[in-house]
Amino acid sequence: MAETVVGQAAAMNNGHGSSLSLIDADVHNYPDSMDDLLPYLSKRWCDYVEQSGFAVPSVSLYPKVYAQAARRDAWPPSGKKPGSDPDFARRQLLDVWHIDCAVLNPLFAVANVRNIDLANVLQRAINEWTREYWLDADARWRGSIVVNTQDAAAAAAEIERLAQDRRFVQVLLLVRSSAPYGRREFRPIFRAAAEADLPVGIHFGGSGNPITASGWPSYYIEDHTGMTQAFEAQVISLVCEGVFEELPASRVALIEGGFAWLPALMWRLDKNYRGLRSEVPWLRRLPSEYILDHFRATTQPMEEPANPKHLLAILDMIGRDDFLMFATDYPHWDFDAPDRALPPVVKGDLKRRILVDNAAAFYGL
Amino acid sequence: MASSDIGAVGDFASGQPQRVEVAGRALVVVRSGERFYALRDTCPHQGAPLSGGKVGGTSLPCLPGDEIGFGQEGELLTCPWHGWQFELATGRALVEPERFRVRAYPVRVVEGRVLVEMG
Repeated sequence: MAETVVGQAAAMNNGHGSSLSLIDADVHNYPDSMDDLLPYLSKRWCDYVEQSGFAVPSVSLYPKVYAQAARRDAWPPSGKKPGSDPDFARRQLLDVWHIDCAVLNPLFAVANVRNIDLANVLQRAINEWTREYWLDADARWRGSIVVNTQDAAAAAAEIERLAQDRRFVQVLLLVRSSAPYGRREFRPIFRAAAEADLPVGIHFGGSGNPITASGWPSYYIEDHTGMTQAFEAQVISLVCEGVFEELPASRVALIEGGFAWLPALMWRLDKNYRGLRSEVPWLRRLPSEYILDHFRATTQPMEEPANPKHLLAILDMIGRDDFLMFATDYPHWDFDAPDRALPPVVKGDLKRRILVDNAAAFYGL
Repeated sequence: MASSDIGAVGDFASGQPQRVEVAGRALVVVRSGERFYALRDTCPHQGAPLSGGKVGGTSLPCLPGDEIGFGQEGELLTCPWHGWQFELATGRALVEPERFRVRAYPVRVVEGRVLVEMG
């Protein structure tokens, strides 16, 4: 199997296999309310938030059927929102499942906050809150740097500011963006991440545009299922715009977007490249080669074909056993249980890679 | 068939799933009005404890644009994790009932005591 950007990182970081036993590549932490963030805002912005009654920005326009999109048992006894109590999350997730490391992805939609100055101070506030309230509380948590994609220069500066704190293991973007992330206006974010040796995680959610290219559907089930369209758009854009030629060290995690669609996308994109290469002459390899070298995906929500062997067929079509990283998506309603999410046909070395080694290599854990 | 006494009728609040251990097996017992149900306390999907779920009803089948009715009130248990719904009486899932079911145990009330038939 060809050595890749991600493979090189693995070799540098921890050689063959990890001493860890389980890594959760997608956990969500939320401020219970804006009050949690006020200690990280200046007097001017505290006054603004209080006077305007500004609430925590949401990543979705659809009612999510389940309150806070959460597991029913994820509401802490304190009455706080799911994912807002580090001690409860530690006990209900890390301790119960013996998770060695868990990557926190705060779904805090600063890109939806159109007051761009507020968005910029909020990105710093949410990151400082993650650092003090979560990362300092338990060494098993890892952080993701939330950035305001409306202001790429400010986002890049935030990445540089936090890059020295290696408990932050990625830069977090939401998949539904104002434009595909390969476009040049977003390049400073990818450059800053690559220079800091941090991958970019692109996660389910956001709301800049309709989830379908045909406009707005009616229901959350359509929004949730159709999210793969946005992931496909981001993969195509990042490859075709030449991000990986310009930034060879750039690495991207596709989080909560599924993976069964990937083989079909690679076939289609490679076929088109053969006839349309002249339009994107900066590409020097097949699109699928960039995809397999620079992208990884998390498992949750696990694809659940009626015949579990079809999963192995999909993995065979993807062609890399280091591609998938296990994730629970705690505390959400579509949480995947570590002992049940992978069907029995996924076993042995492949299972170990998915549960721990692939994420250990990708995130340098 | 072996009966196990799991408590008095008054020990169970209507609509509140309750976990009960009987002969080493974890059951979720639900009182819905005067009716009692017992299911295995494990969702067949990913193993969530159903006793953390919610007793309620569901949207009734209809055509697009029709007013959506609500029914089976008190007859269904919804899994706390992924929202799969099961009929309390049969343990069958509402979606693909021939493929997914939770084991259901008969429950009787005799002289104010709740008895589960474990078989």
